[in-house]
This record gives sequence, structure tokens and C-alpha cells, in this order.
Amino acid sequence: MGSRASTLLREEEIEEIKKETGFSHSQITRLYSRFTSLDKGENGTLSREDFQRIPELAINPLGDRIINAFFPEGEDQVNFRGFMRTLAHFRPIEDSEKNKNPAASEPLNSRTNKLLFAFRLYDLDRDDKISRDELLQVLRMMVGVNISDEQLGSIADRTIQEADTNGDNSISFTEFIKVLEKVDVEQKMSIRFLH
Amino acid sequence: MPPKKRNDTKIYVEDVGLEVDAVIDSGSEDEARKRSKNRRTKPQRKAKHFSDEEEEEEDDDEDEAPRKRGKRKKAKLRDSDEDDEEDKRSVKRKASKASRKKATQEESEDESEEDHRRKKKGGKSVPKKDKEEQNKEKKGNGKGKRGNDNDGEKDKKKKKRTLSSSSSSSDSSEESLSEGEMAILKEEVEEKKKLIATLRNKPWRMKRRLVVLKEAQEFVERFEGALGKGKGRRLYAFKVMMTKKFIKFKRDFENFKTACIPWERKIKEVESHFGSSVASYFIFLRWMYGLNLVLFGFMFGLVVLPEILMGLPYGAIPRKTVPREEQEKAMDFSVLFEFGGYCKYSFLFYGFYNNERTIGVLQFRLPLSYLLVGVGIFGYSLMVVIRTMARNSNEGGDGAEEGEFTFSWKMFTSWDYLIGNPETADNKYASITTSFKESIVDEQENQKDENIHLRRFLRVLANVLILCSLGGSGYLIYFVVKRSQEFADMDNDELSWFEKNEVEFVMSLLGLVCPPLFETIAELEDYHPRIALKWQLGRIFALFLGNLYTFLFALFDEVTAKLESEKLIKNATEWALNEYRANYSTHFNTTDVPPPDVHPADVIRGPCWETAVGIEFVKLIVSDIQVTYLTILIGDFLRAVIVRFLNYCWCWDLEAGFPSYGEFDISGNVLGLIFNQGMIWMGAFYAPGLVGLNVLRLLCSMYYQCWAVMACNVPHERVFKASRSNNFYMGLLLLVLFLSLLPVVYTIMTLSPSFDCGPFSGQEKMYDVVMETIEQDLPSFIGTIFNYATNPGLIMPAVLLMVLAIYYLNAVSKGYQQANTDLKRKMQMARDEEKNRRNNKDSTNQVMKDLEDLLPDKSLIPPPTEEEPPPPDVVIEKGTKSPKMKPGGAAANGKGVNLQRDVSLAASNPRGPVTRAPGPRGRPPGNARGPQPGPGGGRGRGRPPRQ
Repeated sequence: MGSRASTLLREEEIEEIKKETGFSHSQITRLYSRFTSLDKGENGTLSREDFQRIPELAINPLGDRIINAFFPEGEDQVNFRGFMRTLAHFRPIEDSEKNKNPAASEPLNSRTNKLLFAFRLYDLDRDDKISRDELLQVLRMMVGVNISDEQLGSIADRTIQEADTNGDNSISFTEFIKVLEKVDVEQKMSIRFLH
Repeated sequence: MPPKKRNDTKIYVEDVGLEVDAVIDSGSEDEARKRSKNRRTKPQRKAKHFSDEEEEEEDDDEDEAPRKRGKRKKAKLRDSDEDDEEDKRSVKRKASKASRKKATQEESEDESEEDHRRKKKGGKSVPKKDKEEQNKEKKGNGKGKRGNDNDGEKDKKKKKRTLSSSSSSSDSSEESLSEGEMAILKEEVEEKKKLIATLRNKPWRMKRRLVVLKEAQEFVERFEGALGKGKGRRLYAFKVMMTKKFIKFKRDFENFKTACIPWERKIKEVESHFGSSVASYFIFLRWMYGLNLVLFGFMFGLVVLPEILMGLPYGAIPRKTVPREEQEKAMDFSVLFEFGGYCKYSFLFYGFYNNERTIGVLQFRLPLSYLLVGVGIFGYSLMVVIRTMARNSNEGGDGAEEGEFTFSWKMFTSWDYLIGNPETADNKYASITTSFKESIVDEQENQKDENIHLRRFLRVLANVLILCSLGGSGYLIYFVVKRSQEFADMDNDELSWFEKNEVEFVMSLLGLVCPPLFETIAELEDYHPRIALKWQLGRIFALFLGNLYTFLFALFDEVTAKLESEKLIKNATEWALNEYRANYSTHFNTTDVPPPDVHPADVIRGPCWETAVGIEFVKLIVSDIQVTYLTILIGDFLRAVIVRFLNYCWCWDLEAGFPSYGEFDISGNVLGLIFNQGMIWMGAFYAPGLVGLNVLRLLCSMYYQCWAVMACNVPHERVFKASRSNNFYMGLLLLVLFLSLLPVVYTIMTLSPSFDCGPFSGQEKMYDVVMETIEQDLPSFIGTIFNYATNPGLIMPAVLLMVLAIYYLNAVSKGYQQANTDLKRKMQMARDEEKNRRNNKDSTNQVMKDLEDLLPDKSLIPPPTEEEPPPPDVVIEKGTKSPKMKPGGAAANGKGVNLQRDVSLAASNPRGPVTRAPGPRGRPPGNARGPQPGPGGGRGRGRPPRQ
């Protein structure tokens, strides 16, 4: 029982999270209850298994990658702060935030950060480049065995060919941004958190 | 006045903070009560003073809730040290309350004592006084622990307590709420709301949470509305309730609407396995079903039902009776199957309808309604088709140019992350695979390097071949129709079944054989599948159209023949009638001749060409349905079964080899649907039942074909994307609509209706019904207006005006198009410019980075981008705090304060550490404000360079 005390959400903590992530008070409490309901071990942190219990992630071909994104490198537990920090990427950009002075540090839910989050899903070895092999892995996850390896390879080649501007046969983050320039990332990578 | 007072106390509490708390807790109950009463309004003060105890008694139950809360918090105390403060708060409140109660009431004391005991489950049952002391102690400890930042909380706590005591009074004296109490109540409601909001992170068991939540919600519900007064209160509550209900209703309605899109799941399933092109057929089918449902509504609601309900029953008049000579065979299946016998004289066909001007108690003008519905069906269809086309073309041009990053987009954005259902996920996998295949096909098509001469030759050859087969089929139909006219002259009984149905048979056969033939020929052309589909559609369209019009001309021959014979019969009946009259008057020597007493079945009647035409169309539709369904059953299902099960014992691989599974024939199906619709449009006027039949057919088709395609077909070898809008289908449909409009309008305007059947019998022309109505039922001036309107002198200018309007609108739309492209180009330019600017900015940043590379402390400096402004602020702030510092800093680097910004950027001197200090401060915004250890450390670090 004593350990549960650490999971309690204190006002100061909420304030800090609010400042860091921009979530509102009620959103934080709501997400906290979600967090605790996911937390089957009841130790105030989530493990990979906890995430895999979410059906949307379980059937998602990139589910494991997304789950990975929640965990800091080398750790297999994530606490509420970390959980919120990751979720903050998906907070919709509000109008009031758009014309805030750019001098302030970039919020977690900016377009670039959203894209960076997506980029990390593909960049397995975290070398800031998506290589052909990484693309192939993703492709295989997405289409299964229905398309021959040869064709998959050509798709990956085509993808890199389309996106690669500096000729290093891989997609860097800037190239990634350029590819998705016309995609409405702000809207697509936003979750309407309940207030 | 009262509110102001409240404000005062508030401020007071804020200022005094802890001390006040301590006083209250440690002080006598009297004092506490005074304080709590302080908050109440002046006028009521005295009364309250006396009634307080009683109220306390009365509201014991209500007090239960806060007590429980307190209890819970108490329990938590044992669990967690961290939540000490909260617990203490509640305990304090508890204590003060308890003490008050002790003084006033025995019963409540007992109860609360019990509570305490329960709270101290651990066995620490402490007398109340001890407890009070305990609380004080804790208070003392807490004081030290809690910093200034707890002030706010304290205040809140305070309020809560006073509120909980005052709420009891406000409960009982709801009627006489003063403004001050109102404010209190308001705050309390807010408090409860907050409790509800934060309930989730209270470490209680679910059961407890639910209980507390329920209580709080009840409270809020009860008192939220009470913020207004009297009527306003109720109105407020009502308004709140209604808005909530409305929002919920709207959401439910949206869900309902989505769930109501028929066959959405089915179509999505097909789409995911067979690609968007096959799905486009089913979407088209669904659209067609909707259209037909509306037409069906018109036809049945305004024509068929009134006649059945209000018209004369079957057998009352000759046109509703089977003639004597046909009666013995009228129920034979073979006759019914060809829509003779009872079918022919039923509401399904034109002949059944009576020409009475008005029917039933409603005085329903059936003939007029019949004509208007017949024309209205065309009008409505035309409108719907054109509107859909316009909408589709809008959707088509949403500006998303494809082709630049197709593969990358598919790769990075194709998965729908909201899918939570395994079945849907399977579909999504399939559809991603399909879409990749589609792009591969497109890609291959683009990269094909071609021998252009050979290609051209082959395409010309293919077109010649197809023209030949089109001509051949046209001649075949002409030949068959001619032959059928010969057969028609012969005796009906001598002909075999085949000879009787030769035309339908040949037409169906042609429809069956030609499309695959065209497809084979189209292989020569080697178009992209999407373009090939359009060619294929166009060719089959030509074929069907030829067939249809040949059929129509044959039908017209028949109709003119029937009109001739009808004239004869008409004359004969008139002659017979005259004979009868003459005989009657001579025989009975009277001029008052009653109508001849003949049984309706025995009356001589004309051929009724309208019904004959209707029957032809119905037969055509039925044979079409049969052929389509049988083709699916044999061509797809049987083939699939054979391939599947004979494969085990066959010489070669049936699945991969020759017969294989069938592919879904998009072009054939789409055109079948379109022509079917054309025949409905043409036939609906002469056979009102046809629309109902068609609705049934489309409904069956939807399920049957969905099943067939999922069960027996394989996806196309080259899956391809359907074009964005199915305007091509719509265009074909529009053409067919126009072509089917022609013959119907022609017959309505020129041919005279049969004299003894149908709603227009006895009239010279069908549209005379309208004229009659205008003359008889509408005021005379409308008739005059109508006369003028039909004057050629007016019609000519009107036509001219319309031509001008078309010209003008055309010009305007061209202008808009021009503007559109201009704007697009401008946007592109703006985007490029933006990109350039961004790139330039990057490069300046790069310069900055290079500069910083030269700095000594570079590793310590946080990334410079976007973080330049904070340092000067901080420096200035520091300056105001300790004036001494400024000269020191300025002296150290030999520059003015104004330049410190540059300094902090360049950091080329001993001030480096100072500029660094703000780093940790500025970064996490959470630490920036409020008295926290962070800044202190920063200041400390900032000092050394000064010395």
C-alpha cells in the first residue's frame, strides 16, 4: 500500500505537467485515471505488457514501435510524467498557441515534434536516418506476405528515391519533413483529448 | 453589501493564512462558530445563531457526506505520508466540527465518536479531546513543513470548512437565500465540481469513489440550478439539462447517421479485398438503389395506392377484368410468367387505371397525377444525376496533386491508428496491400517504354474489329426483330417457345458474348487498366444502345399496327352501340336508352398498346435479371466450385491454370445497371409496377453480388484505382436518361391513347389532362396566362434568353477556372518563397552555430536556437534585485548593459557562467516561476564572476 502513495497525483505535480505538456487540469486527471487503469501492476509505472493490452496497439503493425516510443532508451518502465510527455505530442495545436512568440521553447505538440515522433517510429537504430532495411521491415509488417519480397524491395527503393535529396540512400529527418510537407500533420497527429 | 463583506473576510483569510487556521482549530468552539458566522450575511446572523444547533441536528444526514470524506482522508493518512497535508486538513475540519457537535448534541457526538473509532481502524480509538490535541500537534508540524506555496491550499481548505458548516444552514433555509449565501453556495458547488473532477486521482477504492462521486453529483445537480433565483433557478437548471441532453442527442444522432449508411461495412470489406474500382461499382449500385427507392415512393404513393384504395375494384369495369376467352388460361403459370392473364389486368400495367377525373372521398385526380408522376420521375432523376455529377466534380479537384511522393505517403501514412477491431485490421491490411499493388501498376504504366508505331497499329486494328462486331450485332438484332414481326402475324399456338422469345434471347446472348469479346480485343491496345475500363465501357455502351434502339423501333412498328387495329375495333364498338340504341328505342319505343347490360368480361375491347409496351419492358427486365443472376451462378459460382474441388483430381493446376477463378467484371456490371435503369425509366410510364420490381432487384443484387464477389471471385490481376469520382458512370447514366426520355415524351406528345384502357382513355392526347385541369379547376386567368405562355411569340424569346444565360454562365465559369489556376500558381509561389526563407534562416543559424563552435564553453551552452531572448531578461531581473551587480557585470566585460544580449550570445568572456545560469531556469517552464530552490541555485552560481 505504501508504494501506491507515490502514484498519487499531487497538485504541484499536476502543475508541473501542465506547464511541461500544456494539458489542462482535468485532462491530466482524466489521463491519470486511464494511466492507473492501464497499470495492472499497480506500481505507478507502465510496462510494455500494459501497453500491449490496448487493442488498438495490439493489432497495429507498428504497435511495438509506438510502445517503444513511450519508453526512454534502455528502460522498460514509464511513469506518469513520461507517459504524459509522450502523449503531449498528440495534443492538438490550439489557435492561441499558433501565434505565440516563437522565441519560447518549442512545445511538444509542434509540427516538428510531431513529425519527429513519427520519424522515430521508422528509425529503428536511432541514427536519424531511415535506411532501406528499416523501410523493408515496416513494409513487411504492413502488407504481410501478400506481396513478393522483390516487389517490396522495389517499393522501398522507390520510396527512398522519391524522398532522398542528398543521395545517401536513406531518408533523413529533413527529407522526411519535406515528404510530409503537404500532409496535414497538425490535424492527423492530434488526438482530441476530452476536457 | 453582503458580498463585499465576504470579500473582506476572504482577503483576511488569505493574509493571515496559517495563523487563522491555528486559532480556529485550537480556539474554543464559540470562536469557531463566530468565524463561520462572520461569513454569513449580516441580517441573518442573529437568527442563525439560535437556529444553528437545530439545524445541525436536522442536517445531520447531510453532514454525513463531508464526514465520510473526512473518514476517507483519515484512512489515507495511514497509507501515505505524502498526503499528510490533505489528511490533516480533513482531520482538522472533522475535529472542529466534532467539537462543536459535542457541545451541542449528544446523539451526533456518539455518532461522530463511532466514526472516529471506525477511522482509527488500527485500534487507536482516542478520546475526542486527545484527538483535538493531536490535531493541534499535527498542525504545528505541518506549519513547518508547508511553505508559502501552500497558502492557496490553506485558503481553499478554510473555505471548504466554513462552507460545509454553512451549507447545512443554506439547505434548510433554501427559501430565503441571501446573496451572500448564494455566493457561498456557488463556491461550494464549484468545490464539489472540483471534487468530481479530481476524484480520479484520489487513491480510494472504486466503491468509495463511486459513492462520493454520486453524492457530489447529486449535490451539484441539486444546487447548481439554485444559483439563479426562483424561476430563474429552475430555468437555469432546465437550460443546463437541455443543453446537455441536446449535445448528447446530437452526438448520438451523428453516430446513428453513420450507422445508417446502408451496406457501408459490406462495401468496405469488398473494397479492401478487391480495390477501389470494384467498390465503385457497389457504391454506384447503392446510389442507384436510393434513387429507385424515391421513384418507387412517387409511383406507389401517388398512383398505385390511390387507385387500389379508392378506385373501382377488380372486375367492376372491362379494363379491370380478364376477357372471357382468356379466363380459363389466366391463372396458368406459363401465361402469368409472360405477364399475361391476371397480371395483364392488374395494377402493374397502364391499362388497369380508370379515366374517372376524380376518385374517392379525397377527389384525387388520378389521371393528372399519373401524367405528372410519369414526367416527374424524369425530372427528379435528371436533377439528382446532375447534382451528383456536380458534387463529384467538386470533390475531384481538391488540389492534392498526386505523383510526387506516392510511395512515401503510402508508406508513412496508410495505417489508420484508430482501428481497434481485429476484423477491420485485417481489412486494412488487405487494402494497404491492394493500394500498393495499385501504385505498382500505375508505376509500371508510367515507366513503360513503347514502340509507338506498333501500338498505334494495334489500336486501330482493335477499333476496326470492334466496329465490325458492333455492326454485326446490330444487324443480328434487326434480323431477329423482323422475323419476330413475321411470327407475330402467324398463329400464336404454332410457335415454339424459342420463336416467341427470340428477340429477348438474342439480345441477352449478345450482351453475354460481346463484352468478353471486346475485352479480348482490348488486350491488343494495351492501355492502362483505368483507361481500358473506360474504353470497354464506351464500347459496350454502344452495343447496348444499338440493341435497345433496335428493340424500340421494332416496338414502334408494333404500336402503330396496334393503333390501326384499335381504330377498327373502336369503330366496330361504336357501330354496335349505335345498333343497340336504335334497336332498343324501336323495340321499347323510348329515347331513354339504358347502357347495354353486358358482363365486363364480354365487352369487345381494343389491343391497348400501352399495356403491351409495358409488358415488353417488364419481360425484358425479367429476362435481364435471369440472365445476370444465372451468369453469376454458373460463370462465377459453379466455376469456382469446380476449380476449387476438381483441382484435387485434375491433370493440371486449375486454380493457377486455365479456368482459374473469375474476376469481377466491372464494366459489364456497371453497364448492365445503367441499361437496366434506362429500361425502368422508359417502361415506368406504361408499367407502374416496374419500379417496385426494380427496387427488389437492386436489393437482391446488392446481397447476391456482394456474396458472389467475396466468395467466388479473385481480385484483378492488375488491381487499379478507380478514378476519384465516378462521374464517368454518371455521364453514361445521364446519356441513357436522355435517350430513354425521348421515346416516352414522344409517345406522350404524339400518339393518341387507347380508347378503352388507361387513365387517359377518351382523350385525344395524353397531355389533354393538364389542359382540362387548367380549364376546369383553376381560375380562368391562369388559363389565359397559360395561353399566352404557350404562344410562340413568347417561347422564342424565352429560348433565346436561355441560350444567352448558358453562354453567360459558361463565360463566367471559364473566368473562375482561370482565376483558380492563377491562385494555385500564386500559392505554389508563396510556398516556394516560404521554403526559401526557411532555408535562409537555417543557414543563418548555421553561421551562428559555427560562431559558437569557436567558444570555449560551448559544451555547456544549451542549444542556441530559439533561446536567445531569455538571458537578457534574466540578467535585467538580476540587476533590479541587486543593483550592485550591474556595475560589476558591466565592468567585467567592459560593455554596457545593452550589449549584454550579444554577450550572452557570444559568451566570449568570464560572463559565460552567468549566461549559462538562466539555462536550467528557462528550460523547464515549470521551474521558471514561483519560489523554488532552482533560482536560488542559479543566483548562487551567478555570483562568483562578480567578485
